[in-house]
Amino acid sequence: MKRLALLTTIVLGWSCSGGEQGELSPGGFLGAELTTPVPKPDFTFTDSKGAPYRLVDRTAGQVTLLFFGYTHCPDICPVHLANIAAVLDKMPDDVQRRVTVVFVTTDPARDSLPVLDKWVKGFNPAFVGLRASDSVLAAAQAEVKLPPAERDTLSDGSGGYAVGHAATVIAYTPDGVGRVMYPFGTRQRDWAHDLPRLVGYGQ
Amino acid sequence: MQWWCSATGLPWSWRWQWYPGVHLMVLLLGLGWWLLGRAHQWQVRPLRWFLVGWVGLWLTLDWPIGKLGAGYLASVHTLQFLAMTLLVAPALLCSIPDDGWERLAPPGSRARRVLRLFARALPGLVAYNILVVATHFPSVVDRAMTTQLGSFAIDLSWLVAGCFLWWPILAPAGFVRLGVFGKMGYLFGATVVPTIPAMMMVFSDWPLYRLYELAPRVSPHFTANQDIQLAGLTMKLVGDLPIWIATAVVFYRGTAHRRGETNS
Repeated sequence: MKRLALLTTIVLGWSCSGGEQGELSPGGFLGAELTTPVPKPDFTFTDSKGAPYRLVDRTAGQVTLLFFGYTHCPDICPVHLANIAAVLDKMPDDVQRRVTVVFVTTDPARDSLPVLDKWVKGFNPAFVGLRASDSVLAAAQAEVKLPPAERDTLSDGSGGYAVGHAATVIAYTPDGVGRVMYPFGTRQRDWAHDLPRLVGYGQ
Repeated sequence: MQWWCSATGLPWSWRWQWYPGVHLMVLLLGLGWWLLGRAHQWQVRPLRWFLVGWVGLWLTLDWPIGKLGAGYLASVHTLQFLAMTLLVAPALLCSIPDDGWERLAPPGSRARRVLRLFARALPGLVAYNILVVATHFPSVVDRAMTTQLGSFAIDLSWLVAGCFLWWPILAPAGFVRLGVFGKMGYLFGATVVPTIPAMMMVFSDWPLYRLYELAPRVSPHFTANQDIQLAGLTMKLVGDLPIWIATAVVFYRGTAHRRGETNS
């Protein structure tokens, strides 16, 4: 019976631990650390009020999580944003204040400013939704070395379309340098591990 | 074509999908039950119990519940677990009459010895709890539910776990060794271990299951965290209820039986 109890305890303990966690990068992140860090792209987008939003200026000194996606996205975008929102909600105030989540739409045709604003703020009122012209959008994606988003017709006969886009969130540390990428599949506990490190980077 | 519901990672759709494996299973189960009754010349056919188990199994495994539970919502996955272990399995056990069990496992047979062994409290509890814990490991769920075979194995494990759980309570007189208080203690014991994964789901800072955390959302208003917390609450609150009811029934029947003996 003692052996059985011990075995049960071990098994339950393991089962409740939530399983395995990924390996740390050399910098101590669970995200994919870039071997060659990249500067924050210097582009001017349009914010939800229709005002110009120069990324470099507006996010200076902040950890910036940059993500290109679209509001009609049925899987990746809402999951990524919901997970970041859920984790930020549980972070201490000083971490929350120092993280800016920037979502740039790759589907400006459907994502009008009000639509984009409502959708993004549905995850977290502090999240920023941005639009840009096709040329700026293409240039911004190229600068951060992401493949360009492409429109794809849906096969369900609805006449709608999907937008193929990079599923990666790029994290810029407060010094304005992109150091870590978070592909789709990044879990909340990974974000919870990395966000304080990104905020405290270089301190 | 998918034979069995499993996680695909595709966006959720309310469009009906056919899962031939599920339909084949319920068809074979119905046929098997009918043929068994005919071959063993059952004196009574507990048709109502069979229909409860059969329909319950069908609804639990087929679209939309099967698909939602396999790849989208942990709360529905938990409902499936509860339905299989607390409704389908006991109903199917009751769908075989006492004389049917006598013919399935005649005295002196190996089947009889096995069924008598698992009619005891400890083997029944251990087998049930091992299956419950094993099928709720995050790493098992995250891996198994992405394949049709793995998902099928989980569903089948729950059915078997339910049979282990209820056999000591429902087995005919020739198999049973537990008294009234033994059965009550046994049922109480069955509620203890599932509390741990249930509480982990409710109180864990981060979602326990990768599969459901990263699954495409069924509704934007229902987050993965809410879903997994609801799954934990469902497992504990909804899951314990039938067991407490069964405990009350065992107690009531036991006291009624003793009162009858005293009066006579």
